[in-house]
Amino acid sequence: MKKVDLPLLRDASARLLFLMKEEEYLTLLEEFKILVKQMEKIGKIEGLEDYEPMTFPFDVAIDELREDEPAEVLAREEALENAGSTYMGQIKIAKVVG
Amino acid sequence: MDILDLSIREMRQALEEGRTTPKELLEKALERAKKDDCNAFESILEKEAYEALEGLGKNSGPLYGIPYLTKDNFSVKGIETVASSNILKGYRPLYDATVTRKLKEAGAILIGQTTMDELAMGGTGMSGHLGYTYNPYDPSHKRMVGGSSSGSAAAMAEAVVPFATGSDTGDSVRRPASLAGLVGVKPTWGRISRYGLFPFAPSLDHVGYFTRYVEDAALLLGVLAGHDPHDMTSSHRPIEDYAAYLDGNIKGKTFVRILDIEESLSDKRLLEALDRLSEELIKRGAVIKKERFGKDLLESLYATYIVISCAEATSNDANLDGIKFGPYYEGKTYDEAMRKARTAGFGELIKRRFVIGSFALMKENQDVLFLRAQRNRAKVVARLNELLALGDALLIPAASGVAPEFEAGGDKLSDEYLIADNHLVLGNFGGLPSISLPLAFENGLPLGVSLTLAPFKEGEMFRLASVIEDITGLRGLSVLNRKEGNL
Repeated sequence: MKKVDLPLLRDASARLLFLMKEEEYLTLLEEFKILVKQMEKIGKIEGLEDYEPMTFPFDVAIDELREDEPAEVLAREEALENAGSTYMGQIKIAKVVG
Repeated sequence: MDILDLSIREMRQALEEGRTTPKELLEKALERAKKDDCNAFESILEKEAYEALEGLGKNSGPLYGIPYLTKDNFSVKGIETVASSNILKGYRPLYDATVTRKLKEAGAILIGQTTMDELAMGGTGMSGHLGYTYNPYDPSHKRMVGGSSSGSAAAMAEAVVPFATGSDTGDSVRRPASLAGLVGVKPTWGRISRYGLFPFAPSLDHVGYFTRYVEDAALLLGVLAGHDPHDMTSSHRPIEDYAAYLDGNIKGKTFVRILDIEESLSDKRLLEALDRLSEELIKRGAVIKKERFGKDLLESLYATYIVISCAEATSNDANLDGIKFGPYYEGKTYDEAMRKARTAGFGELIKRRFVIGSFALMKENQDVLFLRAQRNRAKVVARLNELLALGDALLIPAASGVAPEFEAGGDKLSDEYLIADNHLVLGNFGGLPSISLPLAFENGLPLGVSLTLAPFKEGEMFRLASVIEDITGLRGLSVLNRKEGNL
């Protein structure tokens, strides 16, 4: 496992596209120390490796297929209703290429 | 007793006999909502509620004319819904959540949206963008009502409406219900559609709700349950007549108490009340068994929950970027715009949780964090099922005691109290039906007890809970209708 330190936490928050205050990183570092210790303890629980990772409480079986036809369609205007920046029927963001 | 303090069945009866009208119910509910001093509301939808009243027509649904509140993470078409987070400011859903739609079709009238921990990721009612939500049982406002469904719990304890929705990923309905003297229900995973509920951790998320009467809880599940083509995880199992289970007969029913949970609690009054309840249950023909869960597994619950829930949340909430919805910030690049939106939009707790989740999902960390947590969840659920095989229901305290003071701490990870106050997550790990309800009072503050059963045993759950309600005498509780109880 990667070593958890302040540079790693700063990098992680940068990848998640938000900044945190310095004291928040320190709180988080303390939380990580506790969490890693507890997860190490869990790793020592007898027989743990005999269990498959549980993704959902129950199996979700789907035994029906719908026709491949549009059922409910959003109008373009509706889809854009909540966007803060639009232009000519599209979401407008900063230039990506060139 | 005011009409708003009655059960839904009694309100319906009063409506049918002409002793009240939907308009009168609505006016009284709005009047009480406006008196709230616990920061329970994101919005009071007075105009929309009167419009809904006019549109009721001859609707004869089971909730005809009954006012209700919804947690701010259920989509309500055209109404700003933000999950108490600045990242969603201004967001107006384009469709109703299935829960919202079903309640509308049943004739219920939505009168407001309630505050919550931001994006449902908290258990204290301290992290929402409008500030702390207070416990109505403490006029000094020093005590929390719990979270994340904090506003729904507070408003229900103020008896604003007879029911309110909530969501429960760890214990976010049942623990606040305990701290506020209410009935809190989390049915089986898949029993109620989650379509339109803002996701937190889908493998653990459940729709839940608050009532003040067990009979109301049974009635509501009949309205809300059922398969939904919009939610592939919703169950096809038929909806039962849950009210038919409320016959008071518990002869031969077995309740399993878990000793290592009880030993982690320091509140003597709570344990005494639990003992007295057990004695009364035995007098009515029930059997009480006392078992051990395994301390190492119980102590592992919180870390397991944090890793799984944060990992799922990090992934789910990647779409909260200020581009498609929420406040838009200008930037030279699109990621600068997103960074500005996410930095300003998320609270401190949310950011910390996202970093934990993201770290747990990194390839080099997965084995010892995410997959280990998922394996442990499987082991915990296997043990849970062994205990459920010994009886009809687990009988567990619903919280570690009365509502704690805010000063006692927020949602920071801690090495202390690993079992107490984290044990209700068992029901989420297993997707099991679970209910909490008032047990007794300690210095004017409510204590709660919970039941957890095998999947889809909601009818049995309401049967057992109604007998407990009868024993405690704590029906229809609120700060306007205080009772001491029998235990």
